Amino acid sequence: MKQTLLGALGIALFLALWEVVGRTQILGISWPPLSDVLAELTDERRRPLFLRALGATLESTALGYLWGTGAGLILATVAHLLPALRRGSDRLAAVLNSVPSIALGPIFLVLLTRESTPAAVSSIHVFFIVFVSVSSGLQRATPAHRDLFAVLGADRIKRFGRLELPAALPSLVSGLRLAWPAALIGAIIGEWFGAPRGIGILIINAMQNFQIVLLWCAVLLAVGASLFFYGLLTLLERAAYARFG
Amino acid sequence: MNVAIAIDKVSKRFPLPGDKEGVLALAELSLTIAPGEFVAILGPSGCGKSTLLRLVASLEQPTGGTVTVNGAAPGLVSAQHALGVAFQDHALLPWLSVHDNIALPFRLAGRRIDEPAIARLLELVGLASFEKARPKQLSGGMRQRASIARALVLEPEVLLLDEPFGALDAVTRRQMNVELQRIWSARQITTMLITHSVDEALFLADRVVVMSGRPGRILREVQVPFARPRDPWVMRSEAFHRLVDDLTAALEA
Amino acid sequence: MRPLLVRLVEDYWGILLLLFAWQAWVVVNSFNPIVMPTPTAVLGDLVSHPGVYLGNVGITLSIAVFGLVAGMLVGTGLAVAAWFSPIASGLLNPLTVLFSSVPVVALIPVIARLLGYDTSTVLAIVVIITFFPSFVFASSGLRQPPPGAEDLFRVLGASRLDLLRRLALPAAMPNLAIAFKLAAAHAILAAMVAEFLMGTTGLGYLFAKTKSDFQTEQAFGASLVATVISASAFLAAGWVEKKVRERYS
Repeated sequence: MKQTLLGALGIALFLALWEVVGRTQILGISWPPLSDVLAELTDERRRPLFLRALGATLESTALGYLWGTGAGLILATVAHLLPALRRGSDRLAAVLNSVPSIALGPIFLVLLTRESTPAAVSSIHVFFIVFVSVSSGLQRATPAHRDLFAVLGADRIKRFGRLELPAALPSLVSGLRLAWPAALIGAIIGEWFGAPRGIGILIINAMQNFQIVLLWCAVLLAVGASLFFYGLLTLLERAAYARFG
Repeated sequence: MNVAIAIDKVSKRFPLPGDKEGVLALAELSLTIAPGEFVAILGPSGCGKSTLLRLVASLEQPTGGTVTVNGAAPGLVSAQHALGVAFQDHALLPWLSVHDNIALPFRLAGRRIDEPAIARLLELVGLASFEKARPKQLSGGMRQRASIARALVLEPEVLLLDEPFGALDAVTRRQMNVELQRIWSARQITTMLITHSVDEALFLADRVVVMSGRPGRILREVQVPFARPRDPWVMRSEAFHRLVDDLTAALEA
Repeated sequence: MRPLLVRLVEDYWGILLLLFAWQAWVVVNSFNPIVMPTPTAVLGDLVSHPGVYLGNVGITLSIAVFGLVAGMLVGTGLAVAAWFSPIASGLLNPLTVLFSSVPVVALIPVIARLLGYDTSTVLAIVVIITFFPSFVFASSGLRQPPPGAEDLFRVLGASRLDLLRRLALPAAMPNLAIAFKLAAAHAILAAMVAEFLMGTTGLGYLFAKTKSDFQTEQAFGASLVATVISASAFLAAGWVEKKVRERYS
C-alpha cells in the first residue's frame, strides 16, 4: 500500500517536473510543457493523423510479433529436438541479433515491399528474444523429471509435449513480454525506409519540420502503445507463472 | 554477576495479514543462562525456539517482557561485536575464501585482523589446509566447521547456535557434535544451542530446556550430569539412554 | 576433438546458409550492385578501403564503450541509492518499470533537439540504453544476498556501509554481469542508429551517407563490421558473465 502510494507520487513528481521544465523553458523551446503536448494529442483536428499513424505502426508491430514468435519457436524447438543443429542455430540467432536494424531496412526493402518492411524488421527483433527464452526454457525440466519420464517409458515426442514444453511456458511468456517493446522499436525503424505512414514517419517528419509539440505527441503515442501491451503481457506472464512456474 | 543471558517473561506475537491477533510464538517465557554455561533448547519444529534465539541476537524485538545479555540490551551487545552466531544456513560468502570468511567479523568490527587467532581456529576446526578454498569447494560438514570458526573468531562473550548441523547427514552430524564438544571445552563460552535432536542436546549441553509449541513455553529443564570433557562413549551409557527416553517422551507429550 | 570441417559446419551452418542464400539471391535476380550487392562484393570493398572503416569503427566503438560504462555506473549508482532508502526505491521503481518498456529510438529526435545534432546525443542514447538493464538487474541483485548472510551481518554489528560494501554489492555482481551482457551488444547498435539519424561521424553516419550516395557496397560493409563487432561483444560479454558468476556464487 505504502509502496503503491510512493510509486504514484514518483510518477506524479516526474510529470510535474516535466510541466515545470516546459513552462520555465529551462531546457529551451525543445521541451514543451506536458499540458501543451496533451492538448495537441487530444486535438480533434489531429485525431485522424494520429489514428492513422498508430494504426499502421500497431499493424506492422503485431505482424512482426507473430512472425518473429513463430520463427523463434520453430527454430528453438527444432534445435532442441535435433541437438546436432543446436550450436549452429545459437550462433545464427546471435549474429542476426547483431545486425544493425538500420541495415535490415534496405535488405527487406529489396526482398519485400515498402509496406511490409517495418513488420519484417520488427520480426527479427522478436525472433531473437523468443528464440533465447524458449531455448533456455526447454532446458528447464529437471533431471529428476526426465528420469521419471524415462522410467514411465515416455518416448521423445511425449517427453517433449508433456514435460519440456510445459516447463518452457513461463520462460516463453517472459520472452513474449520483453519482445513487445523490441517489436515496436523494429517497426518504427522499419518505417524510416519509405513506409507510407506510421509513428516512425510522424517522428521523422516532425523532427525535420521542427514541430516540437507534434514530435512529443508521436513519442507519447509510441510510449503508450508500448506500455499498454507490455502491461497486458505482464498480466499474462503472472498467470503463466502461477500455473506452470 | 552470575547471569549472562536473562529472558524475563518474554512474549512474541507475529502479525498475520488480515488477522489482528496474529500468531503467538512465545508466551511469557522466562529463562536465565549463567556465564560459561552451555544450554540447549530442544523442541519440535515451529515451537518458537529459533524465535527465542533471534530475540537474544537482537534480530527480533519482543512484544512483551525483556531480554538482557550481560545486563545490557542485546542490540548493544551486537553493536560491540560481542556475539558469535552460526545458523543452519552456513551463510558463508561465496566470493570469499575460507580464510577471508573467518576474517570477516574482524573487518565488520573495524579491528585489525588477528592472523594467529585465525590460524589457531583453522587448526582447531581442522580446515588448516583449506584456508584458500572457496565455500563451494567444501563439503557440507566442512562449511559448518568454517561457520563455527567464524562465530568464535572474535572471542565472543555469547555464542548462539541455531541448528548449525540441521542440514547434515546423521554420521557427519555426530562427528560435528564430537568436534564442537572438543572446541567448546577449550573455551567455555556462554552458549545457547537450538536443536531438535535429543542426542545432540544431551551430548553438548550443561542443561537442556524442552519447549512446547503454539505458543512456545518451557515444558521441562534437565541438568546434564556427564562430566567434561565428554567422550563419545557417553552416548552409549545407560544413563544417557534413560535421559534420551525421558526427554523424547517429554517432547512427544 | 571434432575435425575442423565438422566443427565449422556444426557451429556455423546457420550463418553459412544465410551468406550462401544472400549470394545466390543476388546472382539469380542479377540485381544491380546499387540495389543489392553480393556478400563477396561487400567483403571486397572492406578489403580495399580499410582506412574508411577503421576510423569510423574507432569513433563508434569508443562512444559505445564510454556510454556503456557511464550507463552502468549511473544505473548501479541509482540502484544503490534505492537500496539505501526505501523512499527512493518506492519513488523510482514504478518509473523505471515504465521507462524500461519505452521504445528508446523514439526518444532519439527529442534528445537531439535538447543536446544538439552531434556526438553528445549519440552518447546520451547509449547511456540511456545501458542504464535500464543495469538499474533493474543491480536492484534485484542487491536484494539477493546468500541465505542467512544478512542476519549474520546484523548480529556481527555491521554498519550499513559494510552491509553494502561487503554483502550487497558482491552479491549483485552476477546480476550486474547479466546486465553487462545484455547492454554490451546493444550499445554499439544503439550508437549506430543514433549516428544514422543525426550523427556527423561513425559507422551509422557512414551507412547513411554511402547509402544516399548509392555506394551500397560500403553501406553494407559498415553494417557487416557493426554486426561482427556487436556479435563479438555479445560473445565476450557472455564469457565475462560466466567468469563473474563462477567468482561470486
